Amino acid sequence: MSEILQALAQGFLVGSTYGMLALGMGLVYSVSGIVNFAHGDFVLLGMYLCFALASAFALDPYVSIFITLPTMMAVGGAVYYFLIRPIAGHHLLMVIQLTLGVSLLVQNGLLMSFGGQFHRAPSMLESKLWLLGPVVVRVPQVISAAASFSIAIGLFILLRSTDIGRSIRAVHQNARAAALMGIDVGKVRMLTFAAGIGLLAIAAALLVPGTPMHPSMGLRYTAITLIVVVLGGMTNFVGIMLAGLVIGISESLGTIYLSDTLGMILPYAIFVIIMLFRPQGLLKSA
Amino acid sequence: MKPAFFQALRNPLWWLLLAALAMLPLGLPSYYLHIATLTLVYVALGSAWNIVGGVGGQISLAHSLFVGTGAMLASAMLLNSGINMWVGLVVAALVSGLMGFLIAVIDFRFKLGHLSFALITLAFAEMGEIIVIGWDYLGGASGLFLPRDKGDFSAFQFGGGEGAFYVMLFLAALSVLVSFAILNLPLGYYLRTIRDNENAARAIGVNIFRNKALAMVISAVLASIIGTAYARYLTFADPYLLSSPVLTIEIVLMATVGGLGRSMGPALGALLLVPLGEILRGKLGGVLPGLHYFVYGGVVVAVILATPRGLLPLIQERFARLRGNAKPEGSVASSGA
Repeated sequence: MSEILQALAQGFLVGSTYGMLALGMGLVYSVSGIVNFAHGDFVLLGMYLCFALASAFALDPYVSIFITLPTMMAVGGAVYYFLIRPIAGHHLLMVIQLTLGVSLLVQNGLLMSFGGQFHRAPSMLESKLWLLGPVVVRVPQVISAAASFSIAIGLFILLRSTDIGRSIRAVHQNARAAALMGIDVGKVRMLTFAAGIGLLAIAAALLVPGTPMHPSMGLRYTAITLIVVVLGGMTNFVGIMLAGLVIGISESLGTIYLSDTLGMILPYAIFVIIMLFRPQGLLKSA
Repeated sequence: MKPAFFQALRNPLWWLLLAALAMLPLGLPSYYLHIATLTLVYVALGSAWNIVGGVGGQISLAHSLFVGTGAMLASAMLLNSGINMWVGLVVAALVSGLMGFLIAVIDFRFKLGHLSFALITLAFAEMGEIIVIGWDYLGGASGLFLPRDKGDFSAFQFGGGEGAFYVMLFLAALSVLVSFAILNLPLGYYLRTIRDNENAARAIGVNIFRNKALAMVISAVLASIIGTAYARYLTFADPYLLSSPVLTIEIVLMATVGGLGRSMGPALGALLLVPLGEILRGKLGGVLPGLHYFVYGGVVVAVILATPRGLLPLIQERFARLRGNAKPEGSVASSGA
């Protein structure tokens, strides 16, 4: 009994992090229709920035967010302005291939700068554990889950009741009409892309304690994120968080109760089955 | 079959090109012969993928399943059951064709959208890699070493370098020819109609399932055969190379950069990117780890920014403007791929 509780708790914590990774992608997709295959590599860029700050100035990853967040937003804005904007509106595959090119650049830029060995950036809170009855959880994971849900709620409020949020929703619903209402569509798209990458800076800092990093891990993060976004219904933030939990929990149940191979297949199999019977995702697009 | 197909076949230019390619092994040092062979592998795979992805407009990310089946299953049958690799090739091709058919059934039965189709095929590909790596019969994580190539044709051996080059040249030509034939057959017209407007296609009585399934099966069988030959050429069936979704991503990259939905598009993309990647690896691989991929990524980004519709459409338009005629082959009406 305690084993299944432990697995559920673990899956919940990991899954909420997946949900946060996916929020940025869903946000960008909702206003630009762009599927960013360099998503996971930007997560790693954020993690390596934390690592660099930790080794140079002994900054705790949680503190370094104040530096990595603006940096990553600037990077995201630049990538959108110089690379993605010029080919937006062309074949979907072209945009995807371009982001794959960006993924090669980021991944190998990291490999060149930091080398091919695993790195970690330790945090003060890294080894703290909490005991909740029979379940043991690691404090960084609890922080990460709490932050994920706060960010999801914050985004929801931002989109619902602020001017910038309303213009984002307007562009999502009908870009042409939004432009006619005086909204600078290009600016909104660039801002959301920058914000989407900026979210990854936060996600990276939350992942860093306890997660070793390697430049080649990007594509895996991208694949998990894509699956969560699609499963969540692309642009529905509640759906995306829910999908993150489904994937996280099926992953942790799979590794505990099934053989290696079957356990690793389980999240993908669950994804395929849900998609077949609910092609619009868990919750339909908002 | 449209007469354009036979006209093109009678065009001496293609035969000259083929003859020139066939002469290559006579003059090339073995390192460059390897690059040429590798290029042909990707020409073949890109053209096979193009039938589904370019002509049919379905972004299949499942093709590593078919290549992996061709490579791993045929090799495993030879090594673990002592079955001749020609038989293995046929069995693997049948299995791949069946998998392609099942994917088409799922696509049709559940009416998948574009992105769902891409993601579900990607999920299948990920599961496929996990299964190959976890299943000892297929070689597991350590892969399968094939016996040395002694040139025994009856045992699917072609005598290393030169022989492998000719096999790949044959498969690349076959793959390009099949996709060119499809573009000129009713199947190609149906597929492009479905791609451009599925509802309109259904309304005028195009059988959606039959055409999509046929394209998928043809593409899967080709990819599987190429996979078997590729594993034979490498003599090491590496699951992390041959059954990994990264392989599909590379194939799609080349097809897209070259020009989707045209018979020579993927070939052009592979012709540009494979030698570039290999030469960069050779020149820069030892300098700093990651540098050659970094440059490669930069070139990919630059090429896409310069030719957002693919290289071939651009070249064709330039030529058409010079001659002042001719619609590009890949488009049914005025709209391109």
